[in-house]
Amino acid sequence: MKIYKVIFSLLCIVFVGISFINIKKHKPTPLKFIVPKGWPKPLYNFKQNPLTIEGFELGKKLFYDERLSKDSTISCASCHQQFSAFANYDHNFSHGYNNSFTTRNSPTLQNLAWQKEFMWDGGVNHLDVQPISPITAKNEMAETLENVIKKIKRDTAYQRMFKAAFGDETINTQRMGKALSQFMLMLVSSNSKYDKVMRGEDTFNLPEKLGYQIFQQKCVSCHTEPFFTDFSFRNIGMPLDATLNDIGRMRITNNNTDSLKFKVPSLRNVNITFPYGHDGRFFALSNLFEHYRKNMQPIATTDVLLKNKMPLSNFQIGQLTAFLYTLTDSSFITNKMFAAPAYTKPIILHQH
Amino acid sequence: MRKFIILIFFSQCIYNTVIAQQNTVLKLVHKVGNQPLTLYTEVYKNQWNEPFTVNKFSYYMAHLQIVYDNGKKTYTYHKPYHLVVENDSTTKTLMLQKELKNITAIKFLIGVDSVQNTSGVQTDDLDPMKGMFWTWNTGYIYAKLEGQSDSSKAPAHYFSYHIGGYKYVENAARKIELAVSSNAQNAIEEIIIEADILKWFYGTNEIKIIQEPICHQPGKLALAIADNYKNMFQVTAIK
Repeated sequence: MKIYKVIFSLLCIVFVGISFINIKKHKPTPLKFIVPKGWPKPLYNFKQNPLTIEGFELGKKLFYDERLSKDSTISCASCHQQFSAFANYDHNFSHGYNNSFTTRNSPTLQNLAWQKEFMWDGGVNHLDVQPISPITAKNEMAETLENVIKKIKRDTAYQRMFKAAFGDETINTQRMGKALSQFMLMLVSSNSKYDKVMRGEDTFNLPEKLGYQIFQQKCVSCHTEPFFTDFSFRNIGMPLDATLNDIGRMRITNNNTDSLKFKVPSLRNVNITFPYGHDGRFFALSNLFEHYRKNMQPIATTDVLLKNKMPLSNFQIGQLTAFLYTLTDSSFITNKMFAAPAYTKPIILHQH
Repeated sequence: MRKFIILIFFSQCIYNTVIAQQNTVLKLVHKVGNQPLTLYTEVYKNQWNEPFTVNKFSYYMAHLQIVYDNGKKTYTYHKPYHLVVENDSTTKTLMLQKELKNITAIKFLIGVDSVQNTSGVQTDDLDPMKGMFWTWNTGYIYAKLEGQSDSSKAPAHYFSYHIGGYKYVENAARKIELAVSSNAQNAIEEIIIEADILKWFYGTNEIKIIQEPICHQPGKLALAIADNYKNMFQVTAIK
């Protein structure tokens, strides 16, 4: 009798031990966020959403999943394409649900950990809540959060991945937002020719070098290095398009002085992210240069730096263009880590 | 040994049921003036003689606290944010996990603290899925009143008030404190708080549907309406 008791208690101990081993196995693998040399500290609070490989993979799956849209035709990646630095290549407006158009140009997704406010007007205050906007907008993915979560919950692959990333099977809006953030935070572009030159690994040719000098005189106060934006909101003298009636930052602040102000876009990967401007009205860099030196219409809220437009000679435009081409980060746009996950057939559990 | 365990089990059961019966319940009753609120079909009139129906009515009741034992103690409701939705009756009955005596005040906030407005996606009643969230201009909608009115010039004669805003100058969260005088020495079974929708239209500011059928963003109008509806609550019964 006593022997049985001893064996029983020993078995208990062994089982308890095994359960601990299993718990350890379930812990997600931390993913290191590397801050490029010389860059400031990221603004994103990683403590509230620690990066893990499982969380990143889950975020990637969500990012590329068309089921997040109402008719399962549009994913985040539809309008944020890797080969365009996660902007929408060659589209002034993106195509939403049921033949609709967006009303603003799809921005690049890069170096988001350093960004405080999102959207062209800065209306969104946290990266985790940002995806809710395109998912639910009638002219974008047009789906309800309830349906998105319902669809995700039915997919056993997601059930596994949420558990792997967050420790248990709970699937909710918060975890979806966190996972998407984990993927998007890793989209760091810091390996363009410009970066290599700054690190002493490469050298500018003559036009690039001259262009960089002109850039320092004319552009850098708003398109500040290393992000090539100071994340401020400015009016660059683009007249109001009456079909859009987009007043920009003023819509968020209700402040007249913010009329027609939009976020200064980053110039990283600028060559592959055309068209330009909040409404994509500039189809090429040359249109932008013409805007700055000739076409712009300064009004009361136009930036003081542009009150007298921006004189640029044809020669300067040529050199500036050469420099801007050095901001293309080919290793970023071809990094397999950010590419669509290999297609695995999702298993749908039918609920009755 | 076994008898002892059974005894403990049963005594626990009895204890639980007795306590559960004594716990105070807080009920929210929505009205339009003197009439009970009926969604969609009933036509009401506001102070400006504007006819209207109500299709949606909801609000965040946050940080609910009840001062009891003649002001000596404060009970805090376990859910920091409770979303009250007119057509979900379960949200209008709050089971307080305590028996309360000699209540002197009921305090709560109509709104969501700024930290929850700025720190990413929240869960439970604050899940953006609940529809009380602005996606284009991040922030919670603290209270919602929607309906139709012949006075409205908006499409389909709709009127729609979504009130929110957490930034300093546009903070629409409103603290409510209701004084209660109850002489009963017994434990209170039920507290009834009535909310009168008519208060949205008058009080501190005149809100006329014909002039302002829509409020869908933080700002002056939202603040004006919040200053009105902060007076809509009234404790009508303590039993």
